[in-house]
Parts: sequence; structure tokens; C-alpha cells
Amino acid sequence: MSKQAIILTVNGVARQALVEPNQTLTSLLRDELGLTGTKHGCGVGDCGCCTVILDGETVNSCLVLAMQAQGREVTTIEGLAKGAELHPLQQAFVDAGAIQCGFCTPGMILSAKALLDHTPQPTREEITKGLSGNLCRCTGYEKIVEAVQDAAGKMSEA
Amino acid sequence: MLLPSFDYYRPQSLPEALSLLGEMGEDARPLAGGTDLLVNLKLKKLAPKVLLDLGGLEELKGNRADDGLVSLGALDTASRLASGGPEVPGLLAMGAGALGSPQVRNRATLGGNLVTARPAADICLPLLALGAKAVLAGPNGEREVALDGYFKGPGYTVKEAGEILTRVILDAPRPGVGGGYQKLGLRQAMEIALVNVAAHLELEDDGKTVALARVALGAVAPFPMLSPGAASALIGKPAQETCFSEAAEAAAAEARPIDDHRGSAAYRRDMVRTLTLRALRQALSQAQGNQEAQA
Repeated sequence: MSKQAIILTVNGVARQALVEPNQTLTSLLRDELGLTGTKHGCGVGDCGCCTVILDGETVNSCLVLAMQAQGREVTTIEGLAKGAELHPLQQAFVDAGAIQCGFCTPGMILSAKALLDHTPQPTREEITKGLSGNLCRCTGYEKIVEAVQDAAGKMSEA
Repeated sequence: MLLPSFDYYRPQSLPEALSLLGEMGEDARPLAGGTDLLVNLKLKKLAPKVLLDLGGLEELKGNRADDGLVSLGALDTASRLASGGPEVPGLLAMGAGALGSPQVRNRATLGGNLVTARPAADICLPLLALGAKAVLAGPNGEREVALDGYFKGPGYTVKEAGEILTRVILDAPRPGVGGGYQKLGLRQAMEIALVNVAAHLELEDDGKTVALARVALGAVAPFPMLSPGAASALIGKPAQETCFSEAAEAAAAEARPIDDHRGSAAYRRDMVRTLTLRALRQALSQAQGNQEAQA
């Protein structure tokens, strides 16, 4: 089967791409659209590094076919900042030192964003559950939880 | 990790999907949430020539309530089930909420969990305890299959290659009915259960006597299993600790665990006893809560 044209919205902008049937959404974003903020980690849905928001819900983009994104809306880490101004979650991760090697960070922040979209003032347990699909191998979870708490506080003040 | 080559089709109706499946036979695999299928393709455990994306089939979507029964669409995601709603029994919501991670729950489907049929499947156990039926559509029409008898082995069910699981039918949630779900794993999320137990209790109008009970056990047999001994230790008896303990003993006796890298058979049998007891207490509290709320 040859490549097929798909149209989707990425970070608010309509995009078009030619994709193979066996191409994942991770590969579409990274290799076709140049959005390398989405990381390719385990490739089997365990680590969460490839997390993106698809029609309002987080997914492991390594387990979504590019063709399944036809007509849908994707938010990646590149879609969070407004110009030079970081999203409150991004700023909170920087401020709390919640970033070490940084590989898990885009997925962590998108999972945290989806959590705060539904639960603006989460408990500590809700945060750890909300981030349970994202692994950090630098083991900096404590600061990540602090960063989400901090961002939740600042976002509710705003 | 790369996916092998395959062709991709996205049929727009159930008849179209069934006819494509009929033409392609074993070469085609239906794709729902992809959280198991795409992983198995990447790990080279499966190599279908065609993926048939079921995502466009309206027949597999939405939940309906009718005449004391509910019909749940096979494409319901675990997330949607976990968030409950009038058609979703509490027990099913608990199981769905215990599955995988948020990202996995946002993709994994009711139908996918039933077709993948893993021995510890978080959605299969509650459905088995709830006495649910699967609707299988094939070239010669639809058939309803009770889940007690549907599972045949790990990843193996009575569903034939030309059939698509379209919906699940079960009793609508009602007062005096409660469920309990207990999952034991080595960690609290993204885990395949070491042992899991789903218990379903229906009380008589007196709020004390067990009218109907089902206890489903996971990860202790080649497929999700019911414990008939636990059910008969409960039905017609007062819903209290004495018969809960008898039911837990019966469940432990009937479990068929094996030793594997995740735990020993003896430990699993012990945990069946403990988790059955806890699941029954939880089910009773939910059933009584329901009944009081109604009164």
C-alpha cells in the first residue's frame, strides 16, 4: 500500500502529510513535521516519553498510527509556550529543578497539562496517578510532583 | 521500535468491515485501541498483512439502556468506563480505572480487552462477575455469548476469525447490587495483576440476604475464571463475614495458579483468599449504600 495524504491540526495549525500505513504518530510528528520535542522512548507504551494530547486526551503516540490522526487535533510540547513565554507548567519545571536529562520532560508536562485541564487543584495522589504513565529514569519524581503543585497554584491565581 | 509493513483499511460500517474480514481471512486483524495489537506487531509476535481499523464503525460506539439491560459499545475506552455514568456498573468502572496508565486507558477499549483475553485483564474480570454477554457479529449475523464460557485460553476465545465483537450486554446498575475489585501488583500503576478478584453481590429486599453472587478470579488460571464454590457459599446466606470467609476459602481452593517469574502458586492462592474477602466486603458496602440511597 502506498503513502496516503492525511490532514490534521497540530498545535492549532492545519498540517498535511504523506504517511505510510505502518508509520506511527510519533514518526509523523518527528520525521515529517520536524517536531522533535516528542521523544521516542520504549516504543511499546510503557515509558510515556512520546505522550501527546490527541483531541484533549493524552496518548502514547508510539501506539497510534499516523493514519489514525486523520482529521484530529494534536497538541505537542511545542504548542504550549506562547512566543517566548513558557507555559506555567514549563516554567514550574525549570524553577523546581524538575528537569535533569530532560528526555521525559515533554511527556511529563503534557500529562500534567491534561491532569490540570480536568482537575485544576489535584491532590498529591492525583498527581502521581496522573503521571503514572510517564517514567523518569533520572528518578527526579519528587521535584516533578512539586513542579505540578506549584504550577497548579499559579494557574489558579491567574 | 518499528512496525512491520501492513496495509491499512478503515471501513465505515460494520457490514463493510465484516465483508473485508471475510475476504482477507486470517491475514487481517481488527484494530481498536492498539495498546496490545500494535505492541505485539512491534515485538514481532504477530504479522498480519492488513489492519482493519474499527474506529469508524458507529455500530461499536455509544452506550444504551433499555428494559433493565445496558448495551456498551466495544469501542468504549477504559477512561470513559472508569469515569462511570448511569449505564456503567461501579464494578466495571473500578476495573477499567485499574488498567494501565492514563495514556493507555485513553486508547484501550472494552472490546479490545475482551478479545485480547489476558488471564489478568482488568476489564474482563468485572464483566465476568457481572454476568455480561458479548455480541459477536459475523458473516451470518449476530450471536450473543455469555462470558462464562467465552474465554478458552490466554488470548484465545470462542470468537472466530471472521467475527467482530461489537457490544457487551449486561444488567443495568440498580439498588441492592454492589461490586468489589481488588488488584494486587508489585506496583500501583501500569501493572499486570499478580492476582485480581472481582466480586458481584445482589441482595434481597431485606438488605441482608445474598440473592445472587459471582466471584471472578484473575491471573490464577489460563483465562479469567468464575469460582462456582464461592458463589454457592454466598447465595441464600446472610451477607456477613462467616460466609464471606467460606467463599474466600472456596475461591482459593478452586483457583489454578502456577509458579512464574511474578509470583509462586502458593502465594497466589493465599492472595486469592485475602482479595476475595476484601472484594466481598467492598461489594457489600456498595450494595447496602445503593439500597439506602434508594430508600
